Parts: sequence; C-alpha cells; structure tokens
Amino acid sequence: MSPEIALLNNYLIVGAILFGLGLIGFMSRRNMIVMFLAAEMMLQGVSLSLVAWSRFRNDFGGQMLVIFIIAVAACEAAIALGLVTTLFQRSGRLDIADWHALREANQPAFVDEPISEETSTEEPLPTLARAGVAPQVPPVKTDYRPNV
Amino acid sequence: MHDPHIILILTTLLGAVGLWLMLPRGTHRGRSVGIILTAVALGAGASQLPYLGDWLTESIFGVLAAVTVVSAAATIAFRNPVYCAIWFGLTLLGTAGLFLFAGAQFLAVATIVVYAGAILVTFLFVLMLAQPEGKAAYDRVSWEALLSAVLGMVFVGVLSMAIVGVFTAPREAKERPVAPPAAKELAENVLVPQHVAALGTELFGKHLIAVEVAGALLLAALVGAAVIVAQGKMEEKNERNAQQKRD
Repeated sequence: MSPEIALLNNYLIVGAILFGLGLIGFMSRRNMIVMFLAAEMMLQGVSLSLVAWSRFRNDFGGQMLVIFIIAVAACEAAIALGLVTTLFQRSGRLDIADWHALREANQPAFVDEPISEETSTEEPLPTLARAGVAPQVPPVKTDYRPNV
Repeated sequence: MHDPHIILILTTLLGAVGLWLMLPRGTHRGRSVGIILTAVALGAGASQLPYLGDWLTESIFGVLAAVTVVSAAATIAFRNPVYCAIWFGLTLLGTAGLFLFAGAQFLAVATIVVYAGAILVTFLFVLMLAQPEGKAAYDRVSWEALLSAVLGMVFVGVLSMAIVGVFTAPREAKERPVAPPAAKELAENVLVPQHVAALGTELFGKHLIAVEVAGALLLAALVGAAVIVAQGKMEEKNERNAQQKRD
C-alpha cells in the first residue's frame, strides 16, 4: 500500500469511528445537550473523511463541502440551543424523556425506572461532640449554586 | 489468527462491550473494566492500520488520531455534561490537527474558531443556565446502553472492513486502479503554499451561488432561533398576566 493510500485508509477509519461514537452517544444519552454534542461529533467524522478524499483526489471539492458543513452546523446549533432553552423553561430539566408525549401513537408510555442515589466514596469528616449553648445564627440565604 | 477480518470482528465486539460498560448505566460497577476493554480494542484496531511510510508521519498521525478517538469516547461516557462538553472540545482540537495534517489549513482554523470558539461556548452557556445542581438522574442512566453500543460498533466494524476491503482487494485487469496522487501534482493543487488564496478562488468562483445560499440559510437560522426563544418568553408572559388577572 502506497503512503497516500494508507493515509486515506487511516483517515476514513478514524472518521468512521468518530461517526460511530457519535451515533452511540446520540442513541444512548438522555441529556439533550450531550445528544447535540454527539450529533456534532458525527458531522466531524464525515468532515474528516471528506478532507481525506479531497487530498487523495487532489481536488478542493471535499474541502468546499466541509466549509458548508460548518456553516450548516452553526445554523443547527443556533436552532438547537433555542429549542433546548425553550424546552428547559417548560419542564425545568434537560431530560429528553420528559417529551415522550411526542412519541408515535402505538408506542407504550415511557416509565422511568428509579435508580439508587449516588453514594459518596469520600470518608466522612470527623465531628466534635456538641457542647455549650447553641448560638443564635440568622439563616443564611443561599441564592448561589454550590456546584454545577 | 492472522486473518485481519477475525481481528477486526474481535476488536469490534471488544469495543462494544467496553463502551457498554463505560456508558452511564446507573452504577459505577465495571467502568474501569470497560475503559481497559475499550483501550485494548483501540490498540488492536490501531495495530491493523497500514504503515504510513516514515516514522514521523506515523507518530504524528497516531497521536492526533488517538487524542481524537479517546476524547470522543470520553465525551459520550462522562456523566457530567460539563465534562462532556470539555472533552468534546478536545475532540475538536484533534480533528483540527488531523485537518492540518491532511493539508486543509483553513478548515483547521475554521473548526477551532467556529466550533470550539462559538458553538462549544454557547453549549457551555446553556449548560450553566440550565443545569440543576448536582448530577441529575437522567445523566446517570442511558437508553438501552448495550443495544446502542453493539449497534454503533457493528456499524464501525462493517464500515472499516469495507474501507480496508476496497484498498486491498485484488482487482480485475480492466478496472482502473485507484491512482494515488503524485507529490508534484499535490504541491500544485491541494497542498499549494498559497492555500487560502486557492481555496478562496475555488469557493468564490465555482461555488459562488452556494455561498449565497449558505448566507441565506444562516440568516434564516438566526431569525428562527430568535423567534423560537422569543415565543417561549411571550407565552410565559401571557400566562403570568392571566394569573395576575385571576388573582
């Protein structure tokens, strides 16, 4: 195999892997934002293959297609994020399963199975025995988020 | 065992099981096993790739491809969507490097500027606005993780077998062989030093109408996104007004 053919072969395989991983992510994840990241990943896989073909055929056509893919991806991201923010304002969650009312008419309703709470693996901090009079502390209003 | 097809099939199955174990399933059990299995599958698959001619090309391509694929797997496997977005940024950097390595300099820069600079930051903005505190339950479970991992990896395996088969299959004499481009021809066309000038000539010469259409599409998407978001806001306002009237 000549080096140019080997390069094309390797690029196409990396592109296929990116597309496949994006496919898995889009099908299995439930967070809407992660689903859109996976869709973008599929676009990246296709772009990679197109650039490799562009080099192999010695033609700018493949790179042109990738430029238009980037433009369409920008449009898609704008619309998708508008939709995600609107859906989030309605349900308060990024879960795609909240919208299972949009399913096909003959499909059964989605029932979320309960999962166990996340158990912390950290050692509990040492505590002191309570002593003395309890001080009067005004309640602190926490309107910040402790974590994201 | 030296039949490449058997190795490819085994790699695919190994990768499917590894990815299934890595995907969020509600438990932490088996995650490290999944990471090991996926890494083994990745290594076995990489060992089947043809040699690129010299060690420098081979090692640069290897590093870029490994960064791209590993961070792509991490993007879909992490539970926290912020980490997913950051790993996706690394995937974008890897693909940009691969673009640069294939001679598409403008596309490499455009990928970083448009994707990593704009789209990814917007994603992170929405995450910061929308993500409730802590890890949500829906981030810790998947739809049918095993089924989608097997389906995706079978897709990858079939595609790679087809790709490898095209380049290694014995050809009939009358078929035109796939001719690799000569270095001199490449240097005059795709790998020309004045890359952006050549690309711009092509884009605004041959594809001028497509550029105009893409501009119209971008405008339509902009207006559409504004309308979608504004409509949600309007409905909220109307509901609030109706409630105030009732009170």
